[in-house]
Amino acid sequence: MRRRATGPISFRATRLALATALLASLAGCLRHESVVDQGNRTGVLHRGLGHDLADLDPHLATQASDYDVLSALLEGLVAEDPVDLHPVPGVAERWEISADRTTYTFFLRASARWSNGDPVTAQDFIASWRRVLTPALGADNANLLYVIQGAEAFHKGLGDFQQVGLAAPDARTLRVTLEHPTPYFLPMLNHTAWFPVHLPTVQKYGSATERGNPWAQPGRFVGNGPFVLEKWRRSQEIVVTKSPTYWDAARVRLAGVTFHTIDSVDAEERAFRAGQLHLTASLPPGKIAAYRQASPSVLRIDPLLATYFYRLNVRRPLLNDVRIRRALALAVDRDAIVGKILRGGQLAARAFTPPGTAGYASAASLPTDFAQARALLADAGYPGGRGLPPFELTFNSSETHRVIAEAVQEMWRRELGVETRLANQELKSTLEARRAGNFSILRSVWNADYVDPSSFLDIWRTDSGNNYTGWSNPAYDSLLFQAARTVDAAERNALFQKAEALLLDEAPMIPIYHYTHVYLCQPSVRGWHPTLLDHHPYRDVWLQE
Amino acid sequence: MPPSLSPKPAAIHLEPPDHGSSPWHDAWSRLRKNHLAVSGGIILVALTLLCVFGPLFSQSYQDQSLDLGATAPGAAHWLGTDTLGRDLFARLLYGGRISLMVGLVATVVALTIGVAYGAVAGFLGGKTDRVMMRIVDIMYALPFTIFVILLMVFMKEPAEKLDAWLRNTVHLEGLQGFGNMLLLFAAIGAVEWLTMSRIVRGQVLSIKRMEFIEAARSLGFGRRRIIFRHILPNILGPIIVYSTLTVPAVMLLEAFLSFLGLGVQPPMSSWGVLIKDGAEKMEEFWWLLVFPGGVFSLTLFSLNFLGDGLRDALDVRTAKD
Repeated sequence: MRRRATGPISFRATRLALATALLASLAGCLRHESVVDQGNRTGVLHRGLGHDLADLDPHLATQASDYDVLSALLEGLVAEDPVDLHPVPGVAERWEISADRTTYTFFLRASARWSNGDPVTAQDFIASWRRVLTPALGADNANLLYVIQGAEAFHKGLGDFQQVGLAAPDARTLRVTLEHPTPYFLPMLNHTAWFPVHLPTVQKYGSATERGNPWAQPGRFVGNGPFVLEKWRRSQEIVVTKSPTYWDAARVRLAGVTFHTIDSVDAEERAFRAGQLHLTASLPPGKIAAYRQASPSVLRIDPLLATYFYRLNVRRPLLNDVRIRRALALAVDRDAIVGKILRGGQLAARAFTPPGTAGYASAASLPTDFAQARALLADAGYPGGRGLPPFELTFNSSETHRVIAEAVQEMWRRELGVETRLANQELKSTLEARRAGNFSILRSVWNADYVDPSSFLDIWRTDSGNNYTGWSNPAYDSLLFQAARTVDAAERNALFQKAEALLLDEAPMIPIYHYTHVYLCQPSVRGWHPTLLDHHPYRDVWLQE
Repeated sequence: MPPSLSPKPAAIHLEPPDHGSSPWHDAWSRLRKNHLAVSGGIILVALTLLCVFGPLFSQSYQDQSLDLGATAPGAAHWLGTDTLGRDLFARLLYGGRISLMVGLVATVVALTIGVAYGAVAGFLGGKTDRVMMRIVDIMYALPFTIFVILLMVFMKEPAEKLDAWLRNTVHLEGLQGFGNMLLLFAAIGAVEWLTMSRIVRGQVLSIKRMEFIEAARSLGFGRRRIIFRHILPNILGPIIVYSTLTVPAVMLLEAFLSFLGLGVQPPMSSWGVLIKDGAEKMEEFWWLLVFPGGVFSLTLFSLNFLGDGLRDALDVRTAKD
């Protein structure tokens, strides 16, 4: 066969390229610098994120991992102390609280800037919150803003925005009037729903109140946080770099953060071991013992105010029967799941709110009682599970969720004769199924937005955007309504206890365990304190060998 | 030289007639001499028997013992247990049922459709051939994953109805998930026959011009008889080899589909699923990967040796010895 005329030349070129590549890789071997070493040198934090984000719009964010990225890009009126998360000045340099604790006046700092150079004004906050409360946006967390006077009526289409208790006497003063005294108002301002967005930028790419508006992308995103969005490679990484316009830029010691989206917990752990990550999102339960023994210095088990639970769709036949729901809830052996599978110091959840949340603990509890569960099921007309079609248990792809789901599936089969089909979906699909109510039993997690029982119990209100189960109980709603307007702590907790007892009785969800955050952290990461909400303000984090 | 017209006829030496031997008989005797192929066959049969009847005597594949967790192979659990304390040996046998069944059924489906389709296209030729092969091209162009997801979306309801019918009308709870399995066969069968039909068509094209086909034609045999009696036996070799290659491919495909949510669902398992799980955990619990992987490789080796042997044995063009 004749060689084509270009053959030798391209061959030579290939050889050259190969030689160069070989040399380069050799040099790499000699230097032996891992991603982590390089990050330590250049000040770039490499953080595992678990799943990729669905959207970077702070007002539509629903996942804890959304906060991990968004808190780098945006800043609310107040920020958090890195050790105990108490409110410290953010965009607001100071604030005043009225004597009746219902009016907050924030004084915005003159140096607060958007990443495009515009000043951050009080109007920016009002326009952003108006966006969250506009019904057309359908923000899941809109009800967090209900503490503002008139906000609920506006969100439900019953009132005018003029009546919402927000006022901006000038560009740097923002007055917020609350519906009732709210002890957790300032800490709550750190939730992504309270973050400001740069409205002109949002409107450049579509309507401000349209879901799926593609403004939150690299090259478009305008934020006011310590970092700016540099790159977002779907399912791979999100890169943010230090913002020169951030008012407190002098304090920010990281040059950037790279978030690595690694779905598989096992793959993430391997990446950590290979020096690719400073921090992992989690750690496979099976590996805890090995780390505890071999390298306890990188293993972190932090308390975390969050509950792992299954949502039951009460709009579906069978699951609309409280006896069946209770039976399923009673037949989960939480101690076995926590003690034998997870082994990371988690607490078996006998209620929805973790005990000790701001001095509150549920009085009612959900025991593991197979006999009672069988009796309830028989009472519902399905003795021994006979005649009961299989339930579908949906969870987002993760080794840990699958193992727990398989364990629960077996408990229900063995103890109740109830068959379960496991449906393993990508996170985005589970979120869509959740919104559309297109599930029977759904693996869920609730991370506290602020340290208060209301952060947990409020999601089960009829009008909560985070309920998703279709469960609605007027008595429950009215108890929470009263609790919100009760100032006395003991009285307030008693109301919460009544509400929680009702919730556990009706069981629109099955609590499984209260989290601890088990993850790996390189010793070079400094300023990373264990916090109840797993918030770690990036401006106080640095890297040091 | 002119032939002599001698009246004495040439003595006809009558040999005792050769015992007519069928091509199958020849093939069998050739196969028996191939030790690798024979041992491959024996291992396959043994594995199949073990997987079909073993679970009757083994422990349950779904009973968990969270107290036990993952334990190394020992007297109580021959191959150890997985992280939920389930007996790996039992899971391996149950998984084998699924994997072998999927491998076999899907291959038979692919074989039947592919051979019939390819043979018809190749034999008829002309416009029919062109149209039929363009259809194959179109199906090739369809991305497999999208095809499977479409199938999943549209067939989910019917599959669930089948499940409900099995449960409520005929009371065969044990066959739960059968609808899903059918979907699996349909999905795999629907793509695997394409290559087979191309191979068969090519072979048929080359064979149909040969003299013995002309002879059959001139004897007035019908098309069906010519295809099935004269052409197909001559292309058995490539078909068999390709089939033995299809079985492992199908088993791997099954693992992939199960991961997507189609096919085998927990607590059931298949070898593909066991291997995938084992690979994730191999650093701590080596046995979770080694045993499923070992059995799977053993099956593939056996299939390949058997396939090789069958191809040699079934080649009608080899001289009779």
